Amino acid sequence: MALLEIKNIYKSFGENDVLKGVNIKVNKGDVVSVLGPSGSGKTTLLRCINFLEKADKGEFIFDGKSYDFSKISGKEIAEIRKKTGFVFQSYNLFANKTVLQNVTLGLTSARHIAKNEAEKKAMEVLKKVGMDTFKDYYPSQLSGGQQQRVAIARALATEPEIIYFDEPTSALDPQLTAEVLEVMRKLALDGMTMIVVTHEMGFARDVSSHVIFMADGNVVEEGSEKEFFENPKEERTREFLRITNKIVNG
Amino acid sequence: MFNASTFELLVSSFPKILEYGLKVTLPLAVISFLLSTVLAVLVAMVQYAGVPVLRQLCRFYIWIIRGTPLLVQLMVVFYGLPLIGIHSNSFVMAIIVFSINEGAYSAETMRAAMEAVPSGQLEAGYCVGMNYMQIMWHIILPQAFRTAFPSLFNALISMVKDTSLASSITVVEMFTRTKQIAGQSYNYLPLYIEVAFVYLIFCTVLTLVQKKGEKLLGSYGVRK
Ligand SMILES: Nc1ncnc2c1ncn2[C@@H]1O[C@H](COP(=O)(O)OP(=O)(O)OP(=O)(O)O)[C@@H](O)[C@H]1O
Ligand SMILES: [Mg+2]
Repeated sequence: MALLEIKNIYKSFGENDVLKGVNIKVNKGDVVSVLGPSGSGKTTLLRCINFLEKADKGEFIFDGKSYDFSKISGKEIAEIRKKTGFVFQSYNLFANKTVLQNVTLGLTSARHIAKNEAEKKAMEVLKKVGMDTFKDYYPSQLSGGQQQRVAIARALATEPEIIYFDEPTSALDPQLTAEVLEVMRKLALDGMTMIVVTHEMGFARDVSSHVIFMADGNVVEEGSEKEFFENPKEERTREFLRITNKIVNG
Repeated sequence: MFNASTFELLVSSFPKILEYGLKVTLPLAVISFLLSTVLAVLVAMVQYAGVPVLRQLCRFYIWIIRGTPLLVQLMVVFYGLPLIGIHSNSFVMAIIVFSINEGAYSAETMRAAMEAVPSGQLEAGYCVGMNYMQIMWHIILPQAFRTAFPSLFNALISMVKDTSLASSITVVEMFTRTKQIAGQSYNYLPLYIEVAFVYLIFCTVLTLVQKKGEKLLGSYGVRK
């Protein structure tokens, strides 16, 4: 049974139809890479899935329960969010909190877990992303890559069933990108379910189990990582891969 | 005018003036300021959250208060409250008026500071499972308060001086007390300069407190 299923999701901003009936299915342990040109609706899709943006219609199935995007209640959203994590392109660490507090806040405040227990859990996940020695730093004192690793730790701490990543490395230089991708690779090996919007073809190739290619608000092609890269069916996909390969290989 | 007896008058009246400064003027300013800040945060939150009806009410409150002179507000409350059966001493009335007045200005300061917090902070809060009030309390308000702190403190410093207007509703604060002493001696100017000096001391001390406060609140490691 799928952990997460999106059926026929629609979203428009005014006249601009951004998602036009997208379908997605994610099984437990899947790492799904979402590729596609700029403006194709990848961010909008992730934001709608975590209800940061209100989708116009569609069905949302999570943990075997079905919801209607247009009718889901605030309470249901809150419950679902407690089982999901989100990593933003711009990190969005809480600026007034230290690294440690950034990670514990979701535990102590949202889940009423005792402070010492939360801190223990936080140190555990900070160690996992290699940021435990920075626990008393404020976000502004960290590099982008370090901030993003803390953001990943913050998402991990709440033990989500799935984590959504929106271009987690696109604001980083190659070396910092490598740091963050390494952490994500480890998560994948640990069996974490993830949807990753990315422009990192290497990551999509090596780490993901499935690839979705979006263009103009539609899923153009999807398949296993192998199928997608070795034997793309759609002309649009082949064109996209040709262009990105050119960029990658110079 | 500035002879030995003037000097004596200044020395002998200094403690009396200072006493009213510490006993009336400062408490009036500080209590009003604290209440106004609470009011401001509530009004700012209502607007930030866009609570229907309440939001319009808050705009109306800010419109009225910012559009009328403080002195007139004092008078309206002083003569108005007894008419609707509320009898209170003038000190309390002054606190009410100063709080409500400053609340309107500080609410705008707070609202602007809240709106200056990037929306990603709110979204990140939702994504770790926090609810709106938890995000307000742990993330938005602390950051907004840090931004607003210098402006709010400015308001407190202004308030210390504006409390002299309370004399118009019979509150004997530092300035009124000075007027009384001056009236007994017929030596106005030196005493008014003296009370100006005391106001200056108060405000200087508050400025130092502000500096300390800003340090204490920290800037979350932002290098300056
Ligand atoms: N809040 C918004 N209001 C209006 N239009 C929006 C909003 N967010 C996104 N859009 C529009 O939706 C379309 C898809 O944007 P989206 O950010 O989802 O693309 P993307 O695939 O993530 O692109 P990129 O690779 O550049 O991040 C764009 O045309 C964009 O202008
Ligand atoms: Mg995007």
